[in-house]
Amino acid sequence: MKVYLAKWGATMAVTWSNLLVYRVNFILQSIAPLFVFLLVKLSLWYRIYEGQPGLIGGYSFGQMAAYHLWVMITGLLVFNGNSQRISEDIRLGRITSYLIYPFSLWEFHGAGFLARTLLQTGIAIFTIFAALALLGGRLESPSFGPFVLGLLLAILGGVFWFWINYWVGLVAFWLEETWTLMVMLQIVTYFLSGAIIPLELYPEWLRTILLYSPFPYIAYGPAQLMMGNLEGVGRAFLVLGFWALVASWFAQWVWRRGLRLYTAAGI
Amino acid sequence: MIKRIKQYGSIYGAFVSTSFSEAMSFRAHFVLLIVMDLVFYGTHLWSIDILYDHIHLIGTWRREHLLFFASVMLAINQLTMTLVSENYWQFPLMIRTGNFDFHLVKPVSSIFLTFFRTIRPGSMFNMAFTAPAVVYFGLQVDLGFWAWIALPFGIVLGFLLQNSLEMLFSCAMFWMIDGTGVNFIRIEFQQLARWPDFVYPSMLRGALTYLVPVLLIGSAPVRFLLAPSDFWPILGLVVFLLFFWALLGFFWRMGLLAYESASS
Repeated sequence: MKVYLAKWGATMAVTWSNLLVYRVNFILQSIAPLFVFLLVKLSLWYRIYEGQPGLIGGYSFGQMAAYHLWVMITGLLVFNGNSQRISEDIRLGRITSYLIYPFSLWEFHGAGFLARTLLQTGIAIFTIFAALALLGGRLESPSFGPFVLGLLLAILGGVFWFWINYWVGLVAFWLEETWTLMVMLQIVTYFLSGAIIPLELYPEWLRTILLYSPFPYIAYGPAQLMMGNLEGVGRAFLVLGFWALVASWFAQWVWRRGLRLYTAAGI
Repeated sequence: MIKRIKQYGSIYGAFVSTSFSEAMSFRAHFVLLIVMDLVFYGTHLWSIDILYDHIHLIGTWRREHLLFFASVMLAINQLTMTLVSENYWQFPLMIRTGNFDFHLVKPVSSIFLTFFRTIRPGSMFNMAFTAPAVVYFGLQVDLGFWAWIALPFGIVLGFLLQNSLEMLFSCAMFWMIDGTGVNFIRIEFQQLARWPDFVYPSMLRGALTYLVPVLLIGSAPVRFLLAPSDFWPILGLVVFLLFFWALLGFFWRMGLLAYESASS
């Protein structure tokens, strides 16, 4: 067990050094979400509320700003996949090593995902403090219990997203390029998860369908919890947990099917 | 001069031809690229539509004004995706691997070779979505005769300014070696430009109009098209376009001096 964990630790260390090798790039990528939140989202919603005093979809301006802050934090914890690297490994025939080593491809990328998530958690903490400091009293500090539940749901969302990424990466057994598929999934997920606008503003029929999908529990669900709204928390964990299991099973199935096509000299 | 234009034209023709050949040999990817862009366009316009189900105005703009603005921005985005975007991702890779050397030894401008080498034929087909969208929302805001004439020029001017700025940002890749961060920031600036200028508070609007004029990309043409008397922003766009093009030449030369070839 100790040796096995050491492999995860070593892989995580390699991922960290890869991520931090170009520090300016790392800093730019870290501050960009906060920059967009402050400049675009706050400005836009401020202007919207200026012409529409009162509540929009049940949200005051302060609540809407808080909602988007927590959606941004959730995004940092969820969207940590690396399907591009998996595709490259397959295309260039590099996965042969994982067929021989006592550390499989999913374990290698799982360790990378953990490393990225830990790093992103640090960035998320920095972002929360920066946003609270910059926005002063406009944002309410979250309550501890619901906030932790929100974080846990976001981490579960990250696990789901990891398996989706892994699955998309494995599509490289059949397709020469997979990044388009990933970007498409990301756009759809952003839209359906309530990351652009809260789900209360969506048409009723769409909201009803979405409740059974994993999407609302990736951004909207954690953000609601972080804002102290505990309604539907059990359902959120159940539905997202179910979809994470389905995604992991499906990814493993795709891996087994894809291996039959693998020639070790690249696809 | 005409000989030079012909030379560049024939080189660009070869770029287009090879990009098409490459795209046709990866058909699934080609189709996915088209669908990916369409999904983005659809969700962006639908988000605005959903938002306006709950409000009447943003600033002074009604639903059709913002949808017209959004469709113009999507048309500019579609031109960028088709003609230039792929090259922003290839450029840092060329610097890191030293393949950029080959651009330096050819008797053609290295800026031209770097940013116009690859086109995305798949995205070109999406004009079948963006052009009707611009026309449809243009009809909804009652554009006048001269506005319809000026519309394609406005879109092209927005495209040129956006890419002059993005090429200028990309010069930073000479010093940073890895271009991920610069590309990230480039995309964030695109997000800023995706909303009309009046959305931003006055100081920020000033900075994003006069210092890093990303807000002129869409707001200047659309404001002119909606009210031709509001022509100052589009004049500013043209001035900035010339200024940033000159600045790009300067920073490009500086970048070339900093470039250390494959050993970097």
